[in-house]
Amino acid sequence: MHRPFRLLALAVIVALVGAACGDDEKGVSIDDPWARASAMTQNAGAVYFTVRGGTDGDTLVGASVSAEVAAQAQLHETTMDDEGMMAMSMVARVPVPAGGELAFEPGGFHVMLMDLVAPLQDGSTFEVTLAFERAGEQTVVVEVRDE
Amino acid sequence: MRVTRRGGSSVGRGAAILLVAGLLPAACGGSEAYVPAGMVRTPAPDVSGVALPDADGNDFYFRADSEGLLVVYWGFTSCPDICPTTMADLRRAVRDLAEPAARIDVAMVTVDPDRDTTEVLSAYVSAFFPSGKALRTQDAAVLAAAAAPFGAAYSVETNADGFVEVEHTAFLYAIDDTGRIRLTWPFGTTSEDIRRDLEALIKEYRDA
Repeated sequence: MHRPFRLLALAVIVALVGAACGDDEKGVSIDDPWARASAMTQNAGAVYFTVRGGTDGDTLVGASVSAEVAAQAQLHETTMDDEGMMAMSMVARVPVPAGGELAFEPGGFHVMLMDLVAPLQDGSTFEVTLAFERAGEQTVVVEVRDE
Repeated sequence: MRVTRRGGSSVGRGAAILLVAGLLPAACGGSEAYVPAGMVRTPAPDVSGVALPDADGNDFYFRADSEGLLVVYWGFTSCPDICPTTMADLRRAVRDLAEPAARIDVAMVTVDPDRDTTEVLSAYVSAFFPSGKALRTQDAAVLAAAAAPFGAAYSVETNADGFVEVEHTAFLYAIDDTGRIRLTWPFGTTSEDIRRDLEALIKEYRDA
């Protein structure tokens, strides 16, 4: 009994995905913005999300945050060399492909929050504004999670 | 948008379940040796003679309690991405262990002792592991000598804008009760894989 049911569920999901993909969005959209809860003495934080390029694509060119949250927000990328050395550097432009998506996720791109004013508390939220070349500024609500 | 995302991951999960279901009979049949997700170095580096000061200033030796494991991370607290991700993944792995994790200890060594004071580092480590050890020395030679047998590397430099740039290897090391590094997990190892590897190492003591 289980297997046919699972297949049916899969079929329904596939149908739903197809339907969702039908409505093309022209501009960028930002999905699931979150930040990890920070330890008491941690002075830096990171914001993650998935950004979709819409039909035209766009380029992320900056990020900002209220002075009540952190002194500064910057677009950063973590990279690893052949020897396993990991480094973080600021990036000026992050292109988001048309019809595609780009994940800001641990170990890759993130919005770095510098000099946190207070620890990011699990369950709280704060706003981050992302600046795009075409779409202009987009403010998203970031959820803090202790995960 | 939401439907797309959830739908997408569910399809993946469905496929994963089918895949796992297919693998199970094969897995149950054999008695092949466990293949860990972490890297096994041969010979296993011996760090039993290496010590660094803990938060109370006492020498802490890199050796697990009897039949336990010591998991060590080399990082720094101003690290927004890699370090908290690794510590959180390790925490989840330890929380999810099939048996209570009484025999697993965690220690973090700071590679940035100038900014990570004892207070800062201790608070950071205990936010993830209440009984975790915060290890720190401002003696660069002592730190480098301790890092060498691990294969841990780091560099801390202040750039022209006054921004401190830290580069570091971001491995987790599992050390047994003889002070040997049994497994090395690279950044990005899932908490699930770490948990399985920890359970396998603990089981080895029992089977020995």
